[in-house]
Amino acid sequence: MSQKTLAVAAAPLLFLLFLLPSPVFSQESETCLDCHNAMKGTIKAQSGAMVDLNVDTEKFKASVHEMLPCTECHLKFFDASHASSGSAVPSDILSLSSKISAKFSSDPVAGAACVKCHEEAYQKVLSSVHGKNIIEKKQTDGALCADCHGSPHYITKAKDGKSPVSRKYQVGTCGKCHGNQEIIEKYKLEENVMDSFSESFHGRKLLLGHTRAPVCSSCHNAHDIRSKSDPLSPVFGKNKLETCGKCHKGANEKFVPAITHKRPGPIPHYGEKLLILLTMGVFAFIVIHVLLEAFADIRDAVFRKKEDK
Amino acid sequence: MSDSTTAATGIPKEIERFNIIFRIQHVLMFTTFLILSFTGWGLKYAHDPEGLSSIWIRIWGGPDTAGLIHRIAGVTMLFDFVWHVIYLVYLFATKQMTINARTTVIPLPKDIFDVIKNFMYFFGLSKEKAKFGKYSYAQKFDYWAVFWGMFIIGFSGYALAFPMQVSYIIPSFATGWIWELLGLMHSDEALLAIVFILFWHFYNEHLKPEVFPMSWIWITGRISTEQLKHHHPLEYELLFPGEAKKEKKG
Repeated sequence: MSQKTLAVAAAPLLFLLFLLPSPVFSQESETCLDCHNAMKGTIKAQSGAMVDLNVDTEKFKASVHEMLPCTECHLKFFDASHASSGSAVPSDILSLSSKISAKFSSDPVAGAACVKCHEEAYQKVLSSVHGKNIIEKKQTDGALCADCHGSPHYITKAKDGKSPVSRKYQVGTCGKCHGNQEIIEKYKLEENVMDSFSESFHGRKLLLGHTRAPVCSSCHNAHDIRSKSDPLSPVFGKNKLETCGKCHKGANEKFVPAITHKRPGPIPHYGEKLLILLTMGVFAFIVIHVLLEAFADIRDAVFRKKEDK
Repeated sequence: MSDSTTAATGIPKEIERFNIIFRIQHVLMFTTFLILSFTGWGLKYAHDPEGLSSIWIRIWGGPDTAGLIHRIAGVTMLFDFVWHVIYLVYLFATKQMTINARTTVIPLPKDIFDVIKNFMYFFGLSKEKAKFGKYSYAQKFDYWAVFWGMFIIGFSGYALAFPMQVSYIIPSFATGWIWELLGLMHSDEALLAIVFILFWHFYNEHLKPEVFPMSWIWITGRISTEQLKHHHPLEYELLFPGEAKKEKKG
């Protein structure tokens, strides 16, 4: 075999190079994942929260964070099982971690570390109705990064379609809390929002895959979500004119009440009952009439043929 | 009126029941009706992204395209309706159409008695079916159902398709609930219209033994004098009084 034929035969194998772990994939992550990819189950953290030990290497490599070393976020370890306790945590992250510890009790430092890269979004969340509930009211409810985006190990782009904040899944993600009766009662949230959205024209179109139908964040914002009684909320009073106007050019004050998340008022409610009554009444009349007429025709054809003649 | 007359009786073999304009209006009405039903159905029953209604809407080119088709068909249907009403006004104004109890499509007390009479016939309590003029109560019901549909579904549909323009004319006391009501009206009455056409119109004009597979009048516009005598005896008597008298004596 000549050298040339050998080269031609071996050339296709070069594509295997692309299958090798990409060079940006951190060597350190590799070391951690050696154990954590294989580990199963949960362990109790110092705070008492249960921590999932498993990190799926394949899914991690497919995420937007695949190039980050584990210690980028896991700055400090509080248990004896790791060789090093990690580096000193910067003071700003440490103070943030104590603010969110009510919520992110398994590893508040790692939960605060998102701010290192996502400063603007994180600050918006902290001043949002979600963030204030955690920081000021010390509640365990109220969304932080991972509640909407999923585990930081497996985050994909929102446009990706698999992300829990994508157009396809976002409404369901918000519904984890906003469709939860306990949380609705605890915080006196508007009831029925999930149902009224899925029954609305917006919701139906979105479900069918309409490309311009809005999701929750289209009107309520993503990170800086505010109560509808907050003047800064995009759905507060006259702010709706601008918010609806993003899609419906020239939205006026008579137009914006078209979409609400309230339970239908008495007029639509009884109006529908009336329409259903009418439909059932007409339906009953025409079906009975058609059936009786058909039976009468059959009866005539079978029994009354001779009488006619 | 037809030129071909039978030598024996001197009356035409067939007469015109619907002129070409009414026939065109009917074709426009049912084509747009079918398109609107097909494209609207998917939106009414949108419950599951992978469900049947999503597949059905994809067949119509996806929700964006299906919505556009629905709007175009809707506007065409409204145009057809307005054309029909204007044409009727023109016919009355030029005295080409006059109101006569035997030929009018306007509901009369007689129609109620006809319904009762027919029900008695169905149950075997009467030996005779009701005798109709140009339009039986079934046909009048069919005709006015479209009017009801145009007012309820047509106007609510127009408001839903062009919410911005329509919002200006909505009185402020109604803004809180009108949109919800418009949506319900449009979708509930559309379902009623579909059920009505499927059972009432399809049975009366397609499935009935005497018309199966369908009545051809919508294409030809003509009805034979024989059929006229049988199905619309009161109109027959009005058009051919001499002939009707002769037959009664005979």
